[in-house]
Amino acid sequence: MAETATNTAGVLTASGGGFAQSSPRKRRTAKASVVFFDSLLKWVCRAAGLTILLMLILPVAVLLRQAWPAIQAYGASFLVTSTWRANELEQPARDAAGKIIIEGGEAVMTVIPAQFGALPVLYGTAVSSAIALLVAVPFGLAAALFIVRIAPKLKIAGPLSFLIEFLAAIPSLAYGIWGLFVLAPLLSTYVGPTLAKTLGNIPGFDWMFYQTIIIGGTETRRPISFTGRDMLCGGLVLGIMILPIITAVSRDVLKNVPRAQIEGSLALGATWWQSCIEMLRYGRAGLFGAVMLGLARAAGETMAVTMVIGNNNQIVPSPFAPAQTMASLLANEFAEATTGLHSASLLYVALILLAMSLLFNVVARYFVVGKALK
Amino acid sequence: MAVRRENKVARVTSSAMYIACSAASIVILLLLIWITGYLVSIGMASLNLDFFTQVATGDPEAPGGMRHAIRGTIILLGMASLVGVPLGLLAGIYLSEYAADAGHLNTVVRFTADVLTGLPSIVVGIVGYELIVVPMGSYSGYAGAAALAFIMIPIVARTSEEMLRLVPHSYREGSLGLGATKAQTIFRVVLPAATGSVVTGIMLALARVAGETAPLLFTALGSRLLTTNPAEPFPSLTLQIYSYATGPYVKERQMAWAGMLVLIAMLFLLNMLIRYVAHRSVRKFQVS
Repeated sequence: MAETATNTAGVLTASGGGFAQSSPRKRRTAKASVVFFDSLLKWVCRAAGLTILLMLILPVAVLLRQAWPAIQAYGASFLVTSTWRANELEQPARDAAGKIIIEGGEAVMTVIPAQFGALPVLYGTAVSSAIALLVAVPFGLAAALFIVRIAPKLKIAGPLSFLIEFLAAIPSLAYGIWGLFVLAPLLSTYVGPTLAKTLGNIPGFDWMFYQTIIIGGTETRRPISFTGRDMLCGGLVLGIMILPIITAVSRDVLKNVPRAQIEGSLALGATWWQSCIEMLRYGRAGLFGAVMLGLARAAGETMAVTMVIGNNNQIVPSPFAPAQTMASLLANEFAEATTGLHSASLLYVALILLAMSLLFNVVARYFVVGKALK
Repeated sequence: MAVRRENKVARVTSSAMYIACSAASIVILLLLIWITGYLVSIGMASLNLDFFTQVATGDPEAPGGMRHAIRGTIILLGMASLVGVPLGLLAGIYLSEYAADAGHLNTVVRFTADVLTGLPSIVVGIVGYELIVVPMGSYSGYAGAAALAFIMIPIVARTSEEMLRLVPHSYREGSLGLGATKAQTIFRVVLPAATGSVVTGIMLALARVAGETAPLLFTALGSRLLTTNPAEPFPSLTLQIYSYATGPYVKERQMAWAGMLVLIAMLFLLNMLIRYVAHRSVRKFQVS
């Protein structure tokens, strides 16, 4: 019977018939290099873990530092200012009565400095994400219900799931190109004019087809021309893009509903749809998380939106008017920001986008991982 | 009688919603077929051998090919993997093997990695611009690869952690019982057992990163030259497609469609490869 002894390093060693020994004398401690490598790996792995933490702190710190001039200049009012103008305006100075001040035969000009405010892009992000959710959530939930309840009997649950996952893997640039060359012309040729003809004459709908703009100091009402690159197109493209994600996550959530729950409701006399409602109610935490994940993706999406949103940084209530989201503003203006305040304001917008995306993700993970698995 | 009417309403609603759910799925299917069909048909029309063999000529009437862009993407992905895969894998090992480390540090790191996967990619690009492009003084392939690696690391960390967790504890316990250190256990027992799955996770991260455009907008900038110097603006398939698609020239826009088709085909093949590798080497461990 071979003796075994535990040495001071806590590593079991065997003697006489056990492992091959390095010398006729019994080895009583593990090789120093092996122990060293063990400690080294522990520290290297810990360092990798801390790198992950650093990767969250770094963007926040960098954006905070670079956006500081804008934060100092505007503070929190940045979030409610709706002017975004990178150039200075020269306007004739007016006195208290509104008359132009004239000195020495010429009008005195005042210079209105550049001004930046995030309200238009906040509005654009909110409305485009809302349209995207309006499109994606009903279709996504219906498709998830189909995959979980109807498709297994038809044996197409597997192929359908594969299809949805393939859709989710398509780069967003593809949706952007398709939106720009296919959907936008469709909307501008058919949808816009048709809606204008049918609804345009009804008094409650003229906010959809007219906008008030200021020309030469006076407000005028102008009809909105249908370019196809507007808020509606942006929202639709976003919706089609987040549809696979919402479907896939909802499918996973609904799959986790215990059969006993469904069978119990059916045994109590529920119809097919009533048992579906029971499933949706049971998985409501996870489904809310799925919707939040889709929302987080939609709000942070750049490429699909930039090509179809119209690049107009103003708040116009109509869905047929061009708009701007936070991500599309950054994509369009960042490379050409000339003055320091312009860059700082853009980075302030990036900081707001980062904070919003982090918030959505944290809430979504809490609901999908935390609550749904309880 | 009221109960019968209620029942009738409920049954009619149920049938209607059954049809609605099926119809919604058919609509989604048709939409997918429409979008893919459009991409394929227009892409195929402008796809020829020149696409893969020629570089951009700069001539709007005869744009040449996208060989520079395809090579650029491959080089960028390679550079990003050089940094992203080891760091991500080590973080995954940390999350899975050192789970009881330092109180809640492990949980915090896991949560952070999850949150990082949802970071908007344009923000990553802007951070890369501020940290690498500005000090370097020029757009570069290094900055682009760094931005891609930034996106890769959390994904690789989480997927490799999940795969390593699937290895049964009895493997680890047996190894430690035979006198191996933790490091030896990880490298000689756990990792080899999970190799197929971990490789699958890495390829998934690669597939996700291969389709990214926004992080490269302000880091690599894009280029029409067949360059191998990562210290200058670097080409990429996604950037080239974006540049052509938003430009005014018809022939270039057709080339963008072809590029999109090639990109999606590449990603499709990569996904097929992932499924094949996963099917072949993801072992179902028997609990002993």
